[in-house]
Amino acid sequence: MGRSRVLRTLFKRDFLYTLYSFGYYGALFASFLVSSFILKNFLDATREEDILVSAFPLNYPLYLTLIIISLYLVIVSAISISREREQGTLEVLFYGPVTSSSFLWSKYLKDLSLGILALGFTALYFYIVSALTNLGFTGGLVRALIMGVFLISCVVSFGLFISSLTGRIRNSIITLIAVLGAFLAIQFVYNMLLGIEKESLSPSMLYLRQATAYVFHAINWVSPFAYLSRGLDSVVLENWTLYLTHALYCVIYSLVFVFLSIYAMGKKGVKA
Amino acid sequence: MIQTMGLTKEFNGFRAVDNLNLRVERGDIYGFLGPNGAGKSTTIMMLLGLIPPTSGKIYLLGEELNPRNVAIKRKIGVVSENQYFYKEMTAQEYLAFFGELYQVPNVEKRIDNLLEAVGLKNDRNKKVGAYSKGMQQKLAFARALLHDPELLILDEPVANLDPTSIKQIRDLIEEENRLGRTIFVSSHLLSEVERLCKKVAIINRGRLLAEDTMENIKRRLTDTVVLEIEVDRDITGLEQEFESLPFVKHALLQGHHLEVELKTDRDYRIELSRFLYEKGFLVLSMKTKEMSLEEAFITITQQNVSLLTRGEENHEKA
Repeated sequence: MGRSRVLRTLFKRDFLYTLYSFGYYGALFASFLVSSFILKNFLDATREEDILVSAFPLNYPLYLTLIIISLYLVIVSAISISREREQGTLEVLFYGPVTSSSFLWSKYLKDLSLGILALGFTALYFYIVSALTNLGFTGGLVRALIMGVFLISCVVSFGLFISSLTGRIRNSIITLIAVLGAFLAIQFVYNMLLGIEKESLSPSMLYLRQATAYVFHAINWVSPFAYLSRGLDSVVLENWTLYLTHALYCVIYSLVFVFLSIYAMGKKGVKA
Repeated sequence: MIQTMGLTKEFNGFRAVDNLNLRVERGDIYGFLGPNGAGKSTTIMMLLGLIPPTSGKIYLLGEELNPRNVAIKRKIGVVSENQYFYKEMTAQEYLAFFGELYQVPNVEKRIDNLLEAVGLKNDRNKKVGAYSKGMQQKLAFARALLHDPELLILDEPVANLDPTSIKQIRDLIEEENRLGRTIFVSSHLLSEVERLCKKVAIINRGRLLAEDTMENIKRRLTDTVVLEIEVDRDITGLEQEFESLPFVKHALLQGHHLEVELKTDRDYRIELSRFLYEKGFLVLSMKTKEMSLEEAFITITQQNVSLLTRGEENHEKA
C-alpha cells in the first residue's frame, strides 16, 4: 500500500513535469513533420506514376515516427536518473520512503506512459492522414502501433539502465551516444564484411568477419532498436506467432533491464 | 535513539570514519562536531542509509538500520547541508508532494502551520527557484518536519541564514525538542551548538575524541580555574603580591578588574576574598571564567586530545 502510494506520487510529479515541457511536443511535431514529408513524396510519386502497389503504404512513415519517438524517449529516460542525481533531488527523496525499486519503476512507468500517449497521438495523426489521402488505416497499422508499446518499453528500460550507471546528464548523453554508436559501427562493419566474397578474404579477415558476426548477433539481443526493426518486420510478415514471440521478448528484455537498473542504482548510490 | 557500534567507512583504503561509537538518547539535542573532512557528512550519510558502512552497525529508533526499511525512514526528518529542490515547484506544491510521499494526514493544515512557523507563509506560491538560500533552508526545515518525525537529523541547519532567521530556526528546534523530538545537529557554528545542545560528540580524522555533556567536556579539559573579580577601586600594581600567594598561578590586574588563575586541588575563593579584604578592597563580583565550546573544540581537535575514558577507548578499539 505504502510502496504503491510512493510509486504513484513519484510517477504523477514526473509525468506531469514532462507533459508540461516543450521537448515532448517538439519530438512529436518533428516525427509527424518527417512522416508528412515522406507521405507527400510518396503521394507525388504515385500521382506521377498513376499507380500505387503497396500492402501497407503507411508503414514506412509509421516506422520513422516510431524511430523519432523512440530516440526522444531513450534520451529522456537516459537522463532521468542522472538529472536527479546531479540536482541532488534524488538524495532528498531517499531520505524518505523512496527506494531504488520504487524510484526505478516510477521512472519506467512514466516514460512508458509518455510513449503510449505519443502512440495515441500517432494513431490519431495516421487516422487523419488516412482519411485525407485514402491510404488505408489497416489492421497492420494497428498491430504496428500495439507492437510500438512493447518496443518503447525496451527503449525506455535501456535508457534507464544507462542513466542508473551515470552521475551527470552530460555523462548519460555521452554514454548513450557511445553505446548506440558502437552498435551502429559493428552493424556497419558486419554488413561490409558480409558483402565481400568469402574467397577474396584473407584468413585474418575471415576470422574478423566471424567475430563480428557473433558480436552483431549479441547486439541484436541488447540493442533496443534491433527489437524495433524485428517487431515491425513481424507486422509486415503478418506472422502472429512471430509477432507474439517478439512481444514476449520485449517484455523479458524490459524486465531484465529494469532489474539491472535497480541493482546498478543501488550500487552507484544517490550522489553524482 | 541512535546508536553506532564500530562504525567504519573506507574509500579506496582511506578510512573516513574509524570505529565510531555514538549514542544519542531519546529527547537529546545532540551536537556532532568536527573540523572539515573529519567524517561528519560520511557518518550522516551512513545513518541515513545512503552509503553502506564498510563495517559496524547502526541502530535507529531501536532497530538495526536497513536502507530498505522505509518504515524507519518515515520517522526521520532530514535537513542537509546543501539544499536540493524541484525548482519549478512552488513551496506549497513542494510540501504537498512530500506530504503525499510520506502520507501525511491533514496535509494542508500541516503545511499552513509549518510555513507560518518558518516565516514563509506569504511566499508559499512563489517558485522555489526564486527563493533565497535562507528561504530554501527554511523550506527544507518545513519539509523535514512535515511528517512529524521522531528524530531530526540536521546537517548545518543554520549555515545560510541571517541572524533573525537563525533565531527563528533555533526557537523552532527548541520547540520541536520540547515536543519530544530527538535532534541530531552537525554544525560548524559552535556558538549555536553551545546554545542548543545538551550533549556533544567531537570527531577528528574519523575518530571519536569526545562524547559527553558540554559541562563535562569543558571540565575535563580544564586543569586551572580562572576567576574574574571586580573590586571597588583600582588594583593595578599588586601583581607580585597576588602571585606570591601559594594557590595563585597567575594574576592579571587592570583597573577595577582582576583575572586570577588558581590551582584546582580545592576551592580557594574564600582565601582569595580574605586576601582582598585584608588589602582593603571590597569585592563587587566574583565569577568563574568558563571555557567556551570553541576553545574546547580547538583544544581537542588541534591537539587530537581524546577525552574518552579508558573503558570507552577500549570499547572503541574493540
